[in-house]
Amino acid sequence: MITWYLVYRIIVDDIIFYPPIYQFLIIPGLIAALLVALFIIWFERKAAAFVQMRYGPREIAPRIGGAIQLVADLTRYALQEIIIPETVDVLPYILSPIIMIILALLPLEAVPLTSIRTYFPIPPDYSLLIAVALSTLSPLFVVLMSWASNNKFAVVGGIRESFIITAYELIAVLGFLSAAAMTQSFNIVNIVNIQMSGKWLGLLNPIALLAVFIAVLMSTSGFPFEIPDSESELVAGPYTEYTGLLYGLNMGGGYIKRWVFSILIALVFLGGWAPYKPVPGIITGYFIPSLIVSIKALIVMAIMSFLRSVYGRYRVDQALGIAWEILIPLTLAAFGLGLAEAYFGII
Amino acid sequence: MPAKVALKRNPKKNPLGRVFVGNIGALAIGLKYFLDPNRITLLYPHEYIKLRQGYRGFIVLIQDKCISCSSCARICPARAMKMLSVKVFDKRLKKEMVKKFPVINYNRCIFCGYCVDVCPTEALYHVPYHDLVYMNMQDMILSLEDFQKEPENVSAKEGIPVRYVFDEKRGLVKIKQEEEKKEISQPVEQTKQQESTKQQTNNPEPKSVNKGGVNQ
Repeated sequence: MITWYLVYRIIVDDIIFYPPIYQFLIIPGLIAALLVALFIIWFERKAAAFVQMRYGPREIAPRIGGAIQLVADLTRYALQEIIIPETVDVLPYILSPIIMIILALLPLEAVPLTSIRTYFPIPPDYSLLIAVALSTLSPLFVVLMSWASNNKFAVVGGIRESFIITAYELIAVLGFLSAAAMTQSFNIVNIVNIQMSGKWLGLLNPIALLAVFIAVLMSTSGFPFEIPDSESELVAGPYTEYTGLLYGLNMGGGYIKRWVFSILIALVFLGGWAPYKPVPGIITGYFIPSLIVSIKALIVMAIMSFLRSVYGRYRVDQALGIAWEILIPLTLAAFGLGLAEAYFGII
Repeated sequence: MPAKVALKRNPKKNPLGRVFVGNIGALAIGLKYFLDPNRITLLYPHEYIKLRQGYRGFIVLIQDKCISCSSCARICPARAMKMLSVKVFDKRLKKEMVKKFPVINYNRCIFCGYCVDVCPTEALYHVPYHDLVYMNMQDMILSLEDFQKEPENVSAKEGIPVRYVFDEKRGLVKIKQEEEKKEISQPVEQTKQQESTKQQTNNPEPKSVNKGGVNQ
C-alpha cells in the first residue's frame, strides 16, 4: 500500500507537476495548446460563418455544431502520404517544422504561472525578458523552411515572413517591455502581484496592449495580416512543398505561437491569475492559477480569431507601413506613458 | 413616389475619424451578426424550397383529356415531345382505333412550358418540383404510362419545406413552413420582426416576394 502511494506521489509530484514538464507538455504546453488549437480553429470557422450568413462546419455532428470536424481533418493530415520532392534540401526540410514548434513552445518554460516559490520552472527574476527573447527564435525556422523548400512561392513567402518579423517583433518586444517600465521589474511574479489590486496594466496602458495585440496577430500571421501564406497569391507561402503531417505541424505552428503570446499577454497585461491568490498545495497552488491564465489567454485568442470575419487582408507594403509609420511611434508613446505613470505613482 | 437622392455625409474625412469610425463600425456590425446570426444557407437534403403552383417543373399528361391535336409536339422548340401511335378503345365511338398521344424526352426538354400553354384541353400540367435524378439516359425517355404518372418528389421525402422571405430589417430570411403556420395561427404576442414577416406571408397574391426565383 505504502509503495503504491509512493509511486503515485512520485508520478504526480515529480513527473506531472514537475514545473518544466508540466508547463512544457501539459498546461499551457503541448497538450493544452493542441486542444486550444482545435477549439480555436473550430471557433474561427464558426464565427466567420455566422457573420457571413452561413452555417460553418455542421455535417459531421449537427447537434454540437460540427465540433468533431477538426478531429476528422487532423486524422486526414496524419494518414496522408508525406511526399518529399527531389529538389528540396532534405534535412532542414524535415527538421525545421519540428524545431519551429518546439522553439515556439519554449517561452512557456521561462514564465512562472504561480507565486509560490517551489513551482517556478526557472528563477523568475528576468522571466519577462527571457520569455520575450525566446519568442523571437521560431520565425527563423520559417525562413529556413522556405529556403530549404527550393520553390519560388516558398521563397517569396519566406521573404515576406522575414519582412513582417523584423517589423513586428520590435513592436511586440517594446510593448511587453513597457510593462517592465511601469513596474520597474522584469519579474513576472512581481508584475502580477502589482495587478492583484485590480489595476491591470492593460487598463492602465491600453495603447501598449493594443500595439502588442496587433503585433502578435501580425507576427504569427493571424488572419487579417495573413501575408506570408496568403492563399490567393502564394499557394501556401513557406509551406507550399509540405504534405501530410508536416503540413499539419506548420498549420498548427501559427496557432501555437499565437497561444504562447496570448499567455504572455494574459500574464503581463490582463492580471495573470489575478483575482485568485495561490495557496500552497499542488492543486490550489499550481493547477488552478495555470488554468486561470489559460482561460484568459483563450479569451484573447478568441477575440483574435473573431477579427478574421471582419477585416480583409492587407498588402505587404500596407502592413509594413502600419508597422513603421503608425505602430512604432504608438509603442514608443505607450512606453512613455508607462514611464510617466510610474513616475507619478499611479501604479 | 421614388426615393429621394441624398448625399451621405462622410464621417471618415480626417484620419482619426477613419480609424475610429471605420474599425469600430466594422467590429460592431460583425458583432451584431455574430450574436444574432441570420443564416440563409439552404441545407439542401435536409431542407428544400417549397415552390409555388405555376412553377414549370416536370410535365404530366392526362390521357382522357387529350384530343390528339399534336399542337404540343409542333410547338416544342427542343423537339422533346413526339406523338406516339397507340391502339385505344374509344368510349364515344365504341370501337378500337389508333390514336396519337404525346410522350416526352427529358434529355431534350428545356422546361419552357409552351406545350402546357398551347394545349387546348389542358391535358398537360406542370408539377411544382424539378429535382429528380435519372440513373441513365434511357430512363429519361418516358413511355406513355410513365408520362401519365407524377414523378415522385424525392426532396419532400427527405427534407422539410422552407421558404425565403424578404424582411425589411434583416434582409433575406429563411423560414420553415411549420413556424409560418404557427405565426399565422397565433396573431397575438408577436415581436415587431415577426409582424413584418407575417404581413408578407399572409398575402397569397403574386405580390408576395418568393415565386421560386430565389433558388440557392
